[in-house]
Amino acid sequence: MTLYVKQDSLIHEIDPITKVIYAFVAALLPYILPSHTVALIVLVISIMLLVVGKVFRKIIPLIGLSLFLIVSLVIIQGIFRPDNVTPLFHFGPIIFYKEGLSYGLLLMLRVINLLCAFGVLILTTKPDDLIQSFIQKGMSPRIGYVIGSVLQLIPQMSATIATIKDAQRSRGLETEGSLLVRIKAFLPLIGPVIMNSLISTRERSIALEVRGFNAKQKKTFLHEVHTYKYAKVIQAVLILIFIFAILWRIFL
Amino acid sequence: MNGIKVENISFSYTEGQPVLSNIDVHFRQESTAIIGQNGAGKTTFVKLLKGLLKPATGNIYVNGMNTQEYTVAQLAKQIGLVFQNPNDQIFKHTVIEEVMFGPKNIGQSTEEARQNSLLALEKIGIVHEADKNPYDLSLSDRKLVSIASILAMKPPIIIFDEPTMGQDYLGKERLKKIMKDLRAEGVLVLSIIHDMDFVAETFERTIVMNQGKIVLDGPTREVFSHEQLIRDVYLELPHATQLGKQLGLKQTFLTVDELINFNRKKQ
Repeated sequence: MTLYVKQDSLIHEIDPITKVIYAFVAALLPYILPSHTVALIVLVISIMLLVVGKVFRKIIPLIGLSLFLIVSLVIIQGIFRPDNVTPLFHFGPIIFYKEGLSYGLLLMLRVINLLCAFGVLILTTKPDDLIQSFIQKGMSPRIGYVIGSVLQLIPQMSATIATIKDAQRSRGLETEGSLLVRIKAFLPLIGPVIMNSLISTRERSIALEVRGFNAKQKKTFLHEVHTYKYAKVIQAVLILIFIFAILWRIFL
Repeated sequence: MNGIKVENISFSYTEGQPVLSNIDVHFRQESTAIIGQNGAGKTTFVKLLKGLLKPATGNIYVNGMNTQEYTVAQLAKQIGLVFQNPNDQIFKHTVIEEVMFGPKNIGQSTEEARQNSLLALEKIGIVHEADKNPYDLSLSDRKLVSIASILAMKPPIIIFDEPTMGQDYLGKERLKKIMKDLRAEGVLVLSIIHDMDFVAETFERTIVMNQGKIVLDGPTREVFSHEQLIRDVYLELPHATQLGKQLGLKQTFLTVDELINFNRKKQ
């Protein structure tokens, strides 16, 4: 299970750490500087990066998913925000206020901005590369393994569940129909799922151990993480912008 | 009368990538082996027969029942499928209860189910393990449990998916006997299988699949006489057949016994 889209683009070439820094800086900026303009500028930059990365179309369903949250934010703020004073328009007895709508809009920009900023990271970075970069930066390989295996586990588990369902249906177990039927079917389905995952967990840990997962030596890496020429420059610029934003907020 | 009628079916998981195309075949009584390279579409094919998947075009009739019109559970009385991995089905704490699960699902009374289950375990040679926890058994014995759990349901049609995997000589001999006994009882036995010697010794009819199509279908001996075709689809002949060819004999031999008897007669 990964949202990564294999493409050949400038954004894909940038190293994972730089993109992680970008994602955090871009996601936090609209909070540090709470103005519509800042949020809009960052959002436009993220969208441009997504377009350059040839993954813009993949972000749309993600935004669509959060649309319910976004729309309800705007509506609720527009109607109920405590500092609402200037009525803008109304549907019957429901009055929408300017202040609330404006704040709702800011929240909406922040949410979409957050999605797009992390979209740049997630849609253009292979999870393996990301995890490996972190391990090389000093993160424990155990944590790296946990993250990696969770990503693998979900599709693997849903495949196992499908097979188990087939196997039990083949023995005459009805799995569709009324609630009672479904409740009855729960144990025969979940039993093998749990047993299978326990067995595979044990086997996987043995397999890891025989390949020296816990060895104390300094490890080398199979894949060379490609380094990006301007990585250091971009990282420095991003961090400078971040610090500048904080200073701006404090002193101006 | 038992039988599966497959009428010109096609199937694909993702559009534009057909897994099976234009399969038209009729299974009557002969025990039948389905062989083919990995990815030839064998498992998909038996899932269609079992009703777990429904054909995109065409119809499959299992003992006259169109698989499109019945749920898998409803078809379970007619057709049993033994899955490759026994761990995908085992959830009870004792072997006997695990085996009784299927029979009870299809309406056998507890007493009936117990009788049939004990009988099936007896047949398969693990009746002494009946009260053990299935997960305390070895994988190959667990596989036998999954076979028994289908036998106990007494369906008139049984499909095996790779039954010999992980079985030693004794286990294979036992399976061979079970399949032959089932055949004698009038049960239609189909099996996906990679062990060519087992195919030659056990099955009357053999179907060779390649890239979603049936490329050879006929009596096992005749199928294995097409040496080149078998090689073309990356399969190998049974050892006895290979030896016969290397000895320069014209007939197609299926078993070691046949070969030995032939030589004895010649001398």
